[in-house]
Amino acid sequence: MDFATLSHASSIPAAFLLAADDTGVMTSPAAALTIACAISAAGLALIMQPGRQGIRTAGTVLALAGFAMLMVEVLARATPHGSDGSMPPVFPVVFGFITLFGAVRMITHPKPVFAALYFVLVVIATAGLFLLLGAEFMAFSLIIVYAGAILITYMFVLMLAQQSPVAGVGDAWYDRLPREALSAIVVGFVILATLSNAFFSPQAQSDRADTFERTELSGTVNAWQTLDAMPKLALASAQAAYVESLKSLKSSNDGATTSATTAAKIVALVPDAQGNRVRTRGADAFVMAQFADGTTIELALPVSALPTNSRHVGVELVSKFPAGLEIAGVVLLMALFGAVILARKQIELGEDERRELAGMRRFTIEGESGGTGAQR
Amino acid sequence: MSCFALTTINASTTMLMQPMPTLTLASTASDPATVNAALLVSALLFVCGLVGFLTRRNMIIMFLCTELMFQGAALAMIAFGNVHHDASGQVFVIFILTVAAAEAALALGLVVLLYRRRETLDSQAWNELKEA
Repeated sequence: MDFATLSHASSIPAAFLLAADDTGVMTSPAAALTIACAISAAGLALIMQPGRQGIRTAGTVLALAGFAMLMVEVLARATPHGSDGSMPPVFPVVFGFITLFGAVRMITHPKPVFAALYFVLVVIATAGLFLLLGAEFMAFSLIIVYAGAILITYMFVLMLAQQSPVAGVGDAWYDRLPREALSAIVVGFVILATLSNAFFSPQAQSDRADTFERTELSGTVNAWQTLDAMPKLALASAQAAYVESLKSLKSSNDGATTSATTAAKIVALVPDAQGNRVRTRGADAFVMAQFADGTTIELALPVSALPTNSRHVGVELVSKFPAGLEIAGVVLLMALFGAVILARKQIELGEDERRELAGMRRFTIEGESGGTGAQR
Repeated sequence: MSCFALTTINASTTMLMQPMPTLTLASTASDPATVNAALLVSALLFVCGLVGFLTRRNMIIMFLCTELMFQGAALAMIAFGNVHHDASGQVFVIFILTVAAAEAALALGLVVLLYRRRETLDSQAWNELKEA
């Protein structure tokens, strides 16, 4: 059997065939991932059995084993030529386990408030993954917006709409019993197997590695252009670079010229033919600084002058996606209107009240219990 | 004196001659193992959200599960943005957050409305909304 064709994304039936074939079970990349997905799905199915503690524990063990298998397989694929003896990354694995633990507890916990709290755990662990991926701004705004705002709204509504627990019964029946657990898990398994085979096929792995290499330079150039979009910051970093270079020059001249070398003030950065003030040469950046007396000097910018993540994201947001930003504002405004209209107290008037408001006589005689909605 | 001479005479020559370190976006460069782990977690989060949405009966938890799916999508965005050395992925997560907030406001308003009618959060209580 040709394993190369099996590494393609949509080869799940073929992967099943291979899994049944005892000669090539673990040698096929697609089969290993699919089996691990199946084990996780089976574990989740057992966890969802209501009420039986032993089965749920077995399911937890099974799901953990499946997730560990998936993680090991996926991490092994990150280094294409087998393990190079380096440590597996600890933090992504730990955050991944916390995230998945929170997610599974959230969808299986019988108390809605606890489910919401487990979602907070998921959000925080995901923010940790964001940090590891270099998205600091989004990590913290995720915690602020999700855990701080959205989840609080959910908690409010949960507590508003919570039915008072009946003694001896415990949680509401509709929170305890899952609906169509088996078919839902089959659907989830198929999607998970497809996604993981698409993400982690050898083809996709090498594509990602290529992209990573290819965009390394352009990403840095992009970051320097972000600095170019912030003229004041660019000027300040040019001044700082100038002061630093004067200092290093002075120390290399070992005190021969200690007199009066206060740094002159850079008044402007001269743009090049394309209008870029921050010019790039390869991954390095330099500026043409202009002093008050009109002389110019070429200054290299240090790595520390690269804009921070939040500046980068901000400039990207307003320079590349201004229309998206406007639409996001409209979406939020519409959601505000919609929420106000939906949540407004709706008083339903009965027939009699409506007649009264219209200045007409009531249908029902006073004292009779025929009036609808009179209690409201 | 040499400094002064440099600024006035040697205009437009590179002043800093010390070797620059090879430059990557320092904090964003992460190894493929981290990216792989994040992608796996994102796929699992999405699937957990989906399974939760299908199996839970509580309407509020169902909407919470859609937020779980949003998380999975956002994590994938960040991971692929890292691979591409591009901040667009992070910008998209901002939009995802916006949509999630709008959805939470509207969905919770709806749920409160529905709860007032039937005095239950069970989504099966609104079975007659489905087609025949």
